[in-house]
Amino acid sequence: MKKTIFVIGAILLIILFPLFVKNSYHLYLMNRALIHAILATGLVFLTGFAGQISLGQAGFYAIGAYSSAYFTVKLGMPIVVGVIAGIVISVIAGFLLSIPSFKLKAFFLSLVTIAFGQIVWMLVINLTPITGGPYGFFGIPFYSFGGEMLSFGQVFWLFGGLLLLSVFIMFRIKHSHFGRAMLAMNDDDVATETCGISTKKLKIAAFGFSAGLAGLAGALYAHLAGFLSPEPFTFFESSNFVAMAVVGGLRHMSGGVVGGIGLTLLPEFLRFGGWENYYLMVTSLIVIVIVIFMPMGLGPILESLFRKVFRVKRNNTKTL
Amino acid sequence: MLQDILQNIVSGASIGATYGLVGLGVVFLWLTISRINFANISSAMLAAYLFYSFYTQLNLGFFISFVLSVAIIGLYGLGLRIFIYEPIRKRGGGRLEFVVATLMLCTFWLNFIIVTYGALPKPFPPVFGGSNDFISLGGIRIPSLYLNIYLVIAILMVFIYFILNKTLIGKSFRAAAQNREAAALMGIDVKVTTSLSFILATVVVGIAGILLAPIYFVSLELGGGSIGVKGFASAVLGGLTNPYGTILGGISLGLLENFSTLYISSTYRDVISFSVLVAVLILKPSGIFNWKRKKI
Repeated sequence: MKKTIFVIGAILLIILFPLFVKNSYHLYLMNRALIHAILATGLVFLTGFAGQISLGQAGFYAIGAYSSAYFTVKLGMPIVVGVIAGIVISVIAGFLLSIPSFKLKAFFLSLVTIAFGQIVWMLVINLTPITGGPYGFFGIPFYSFGGEMLSFGQVFWLFGGLLLLSVFIMFRIKHSHFGRAMLAMNDDDVATETCGISTKKLKIAAFGFSAGLAGLAGALYAHLAGFLSPEPFTFFESSNFVAMAVVGGLRHMSGGVVGGIGLTLLPEFLRFGGWENYYLMVTSLIVIVIVIFMPMGLGPILESLFRKVFRVKRNNTKTL
Repeated sequence: MLQDILQNIVSGASIGATYGLVGLGVVFLWLTISRINFANISSAMLAAYLFYSFYTQLNLGFFISFVLSVAIIGLYGLGLRIFIYEPIRKRGGGRLEFVVATLMLCTFWLNFIIVTYGALPKPFPPVFGGSNDFISLGGIRIPSLYLNIYLVIAILMVFIYFILNKTLIGKSFRAAAQNREAAALMGIDVKVTTSLSFILATVVVGIAGILLAPIYFVSLELGGGSIGVKGFASAVLGGLTNPYGTILGGISLGLLENFSTLYISSTYRDVISFSVLVAVLILKPSGIFNWKRKKI
């Protein structure tokens, strides 16, 4: 019951939003927020469900963005092919990055992922023939359908649909035997192995899935912005992505959506007149306060609010 | 040719030793609370900017500025424990919450510096010798800056050795690092040793920041560049538990960097050192320069 209300509500929100908001800057911002939500959903899956940490997610984001740009601009493929190529190449990189996670945990794994992110970033800067380096990658085509350019509102529907699809896939995985095995692995690696479950396969799949979502997000960003520079792919972006997942709620289905949209829009709300210099400082402070005082994240809090408003009882077997 | 090699050894080792100091900040926290402070490198940036303020803007003289900025950084370390670590622990936040909080702290300090000092790099006063001061030694030129770095780090290591091995608080620190519960049962105040580790960690990194400032200028590079990752790398080479191994790890990282610049390419310098880091993590996670395990 609750699930249906939630899904219908989400679809209605996505359909109605572009009909009421006409300001193109706000729509562009919401599109960025949806991209971040897709990426943070992948991180929630990787960290909250499978228990692996990644501080190099901007690396996959960059791989997705630059592969899609390369396929569409340099090879002349349609955007769909470019986006799929971005996803596939990211997933392959994710498979490779999962190899160190067989042996390493927590801090050591986060170091490997940081190093991965940094290496990708430096390759982006230095491989000028492919990426354009610090000068940037120009002329990436915008979304079009049947020869006509889409408006920001139509792009919003597209992104919203993709976000819903990725959350739905994650929901299905979580409630399959695969997802339960992942939750078990999150609680205890060794115990899961002794139950006859191969944690290696699970780790490969988790890294692949989250890398795929990050690659998708990167490819979507490339065609939305039309121009790529190395700037949005630094280590600080990776740490922002992790902050989104944690603020939204790591163990919660909606964590990525809440955190991704919330943390993308938060700095914009803080841009009062005369305070422009301080908004980034205040944003990071707010995140610290949320992390310290609400370690569960905002997702569960929103869920309980939602339940109070609609008077829905908790369904124990299938929680969102 | 030989001169080139010796010259590179001198400069690589001195920069590497400061990476080692940054790594020491990681090690001291890991020993007591098994957490990693990702805002570790922020202390370096803050100390450099404080020193710049005291020395250049307020004309307080080298010694007073140095002591003041290091003392403030030590207090900041204590604040880190009181305002970040303890509240997270009390509310049941785990490692990841600490990681995210400190990551955000890193961004916070970067933006704080941009707001208060501006984003442009500031010239560092030539307190460790100007760019033209050097000592010739059999054909190699050792800039006095590097000599001073060696000197400060040598004094610091002797000092740390003395504190850890000869004083009561250092002995209790080592006991708590080996086994927290057992040390607490023996009547050691674990809270004091935790505070000590926070203070030591930030102070050491702060000193590293002041030493690195003549090379990188007083800039945001100190708090947001790849130096922090290199600090982590040297801590990992030392196995995260061995302070002296960490310094050695840093030195070898600095040498690796300089020689890859000399023989391969300067653009891929950082790619090479990060690849080595990944290789070490995968092949030997317990560290290369870690001859004594779980003991300092």
